[in-house]
Amino acid sequence: MSALERPTSATRPRLPWLGRTALLLALVLLTVLLALGLGSVRVSAAETLRGVWHGLSGAALTGNDVIVWQLRFPRVALGLLVGASLGVCGAAYQGVFRNPLADPYLMGVASGAGLGATLAVVAGWNSALIPLSALLGALLSVLLSLALARQGRTLPPLRLILSGVVVGSILTAASTYLLLTSPTRILQVYSFTLGSLTFGGWHEVGTVLPYALLGGGLLLLLARALNVLQLGDLTARSLGLPVERLRLLVILAASLVTAAAVSYAGIIGFVGLVTPHLVRRLWGPDYRLLLPISALAGAGLLVLSDLLARTLTATELPVGVVTTLLGGPFFLYLLRRQGGER
Amino acid sequence: MKTRPITTLFSLLTLGVLSSAAAVSYPLIITDDLGRKVTIASEPRRIVSVLPSDTETLCALGVCDRLVGVDDNSDFPASVKALPKVGGLYSPSIERMVALKPDLVIVSKYGKLTDTLTAAGIPVVAVNPESYDDAFSKTLLLGKIVNREAQAKQLVTQMRRDIARIEILTKNAVHKPTTYYEIDPTPYTVGPNSFIGVLLSKAGAANIIPAALGDFPKISPELVVQRSPQIILGPDLATVKARPGWNTIAAVRSGRVIAVVPSSDFDNLLNRPGPRLPQALAALARLIHPELFR
Repeated sequence: MSALERPTSATRPRLPWLGRTALLLALVLLTVLLALGLGSVRVSAAETLRGVWHGLSGAALTGNDVIVWQLRFPRVALGLLVGASLGVCGAAYQGVFRNPLADPYLMGVASGAGLGATLAVVAGWNSALIPLSALLGALLSVLLSLALARQGRTLPPLRLILSGVVVGSILTAASTYLLLTSPTRILQVYSFTLGSLTFGGWHEVGTVLPYALLGGGLLLLLARALNVLQLGDLTARSLGLPVERLRLLVILAASLVTAAAVSYAGIIGFVGLVTPHLVRRLWGPDYRLLLPISALAGAGLLVLSDLLARTLTATELPVGVVTTLLGGPFFLYLLRRQGGER
Repeated sequence: MKTRPITTLFSLLTLGVLSSAAAVSYPLIITDDLGRKVTIASEPRRIVSVLPSDTETLCALGVCDRLVGVDDNSDFPASVKALPKVGGLYSPSIERMVALKPDLVIVSKYGKLTDTLTAAGIPVVAVNPESYDDAFSKTLLLGKIVNREAQAKQLVTQMRRDIARIEILTKNAVHKPTTYYEIDPTPYTVGPNSFIGVLLSKAGAANIIPAALGDFPKISPELVVQRSPQIILGPDLATVKARPGWNTIAAVRSGRVIAVVPSSDFDNLLNRPGPRLPQALAALARLIHPELFR
C-alpha cells in the first residue's frame, strides 16, 4: 500500500488491488500447473495434457492417463476446493467474532469430525462411511456449542468461543479414549488429524462441491453485513443489522462448509487462520474483497502445500504439517515486518 | 519328523548335559533393547510379559508356566489367554503388574514402564524383536535370561530349518508376482528390509517398494497405480475398488486382493517376530505361490 494515499470511505486502493489479485490468480494457476505435472511418478507435460484430454473426452485411459486424470487431477481439484473452503470460512469466522485468532475449527468442528472419523475407523465400518461419520460429528459439535452458548435470544461471542473450546476438548477426549481401545488404528486416525488429500478423487470433489458453493455463496452474500458488524454489536444494531441472526447464519454456513471439507481432507491446520490475515494485510479489511480473495489464496496455499507434501521427500508428508511449516514462518515474518494487528 | 527312539534318547541326553553344563549363572548382567545394563539376580520364576512376541517365545522355550501375567494383546499360545491381563502398550496397568509380584517384567522399548517399575523395585528388561534377524537373536537373549539357552538354540535351529524348507520352493519359482503390502490405509506400506518385507521376499514375492523409501513409508497412491502390482495384501477388494484409479491395478482386475484384518490371527501371525515366523512365512508363501503347495 502506498503511504501517500488518502484513505477513502472504503479505505481500499483502487488499482493496486486489481493488480494484486491478478498476480495472485497467476500464482495459483502456476501452482496448479506444477501440481498437475509433478509427483512421485514422472509424467511429461505432453502426457499430462493427453491424460486430461482422454479424461474429458471419455476415451480409454492408457499408460499414465489414470495417474493424471483419476489421481492427480482430482487431488488438485480437491485441494483447491478444501483450501478455498478453509480460507473463506477463516475470514468469515474472524469477521463474525471480530477476533483475529478465530479459525474455522473454533466451534469444535475439528474435534467433532475427529470423533466421527475415529468412531468409524475403530468400529471397522466400510471406509466409505468415514467421511459421513466425520461430517455428522462436525455438525453435531457445532450445534452443541451453539446450544451451550445461547443466552436467552443472544449469542455472545465470548460464550461462543468458550463453549466451542469446551465442546472440542470433551469430544477430543472421547476420541482419545476410543482410540486407546484399539491401538492398531492409531496411525489411521492420527493421519486424519493431520489432514491428507491422498485419496482425493472425483467422487470426493463432487461431494464437497455443493457444500462449498452453497455455504460459500451465502457467506459472500453476507460480506456487507460483516463489514457493518466490524463497527461493534451496538453500532451495528442501531444501524438496523440483526446481529444475532447474522452471527448464527455465518457460523452455520461456515461450519457446514468446513465440516464438508474436513470430512474428506482431514483436519488441515493453519490455512483458515493464516490466509485471511495475509489477505487482510494486502487487500484491506473490506469483507467484499476479503472473503473471495481468502478463498483464492487458501486454494493456492493448500495446493502448493500438497505439492510439497508429495514431492519434498521420497515418501508423502501429511499436508497439515506442510501448511504449518510453510504458513507459520511466513506469518511471523509479516508480523515482525508490519507489527501490530489490523 | 520321524526319528529312531535311540537317537531321540541320545539327543535328549546331550541336551540335558548341555543345559546343565552351560547353565546360566546368576546374577546375570545383560544389555537390553533400551541400552540399559540390567542385573537379573536369580533365575526368573514369576514373569510378566508385556509384548505378544515375547510371550510366544517364552512359551516356545518351555517356560509358559512361569508367566503370571501378560498384556492385553498376548493371545498365543491359547493357554496365556487365561492369565491375568496387565493392559496394553498405551494403557498399562502398573498397579496390576506390581500386585502380581513378578520377579521380572519383560517390556517393549516403547512406552514408559521401565522407570516406574524400577522405582517400584521390580526388575524390568526391554526385549523388543522388530526385524527378521531379531526373531532369532531375541530368542537367544530370552533363553539366556530364563536359563533356557540350549532350548533357545534348538528353537532357532528348528525355525531356520523350517524356513529353509519353504525357501527352497519359493527361491526357484519362475515367476515372482509383484506385490504391494498395505499396513494402514493412510497408506503406509512396508519396505523390503522391514520384518514383513523380508518375509515377502522369502515367500517369493517382488515388493513394489524400493528399499530407499525406508521400512514403513507413507507412499503416494500414484506409485501403486503406476507399478500395478499383481497381488495386494492388506485392504479388502471393496476398499481398493473404491479408491480413485485403483481399479486399473492388475491385482484388482484379477481379484488377487487379500485382506489382512487388523488384529486378526493372520495379522498377528505376520506382525510378530517370534517362534511362529516359519508359519507366517508358510502362510504368505501359500498365498503368493499356491501352485507350489498343492
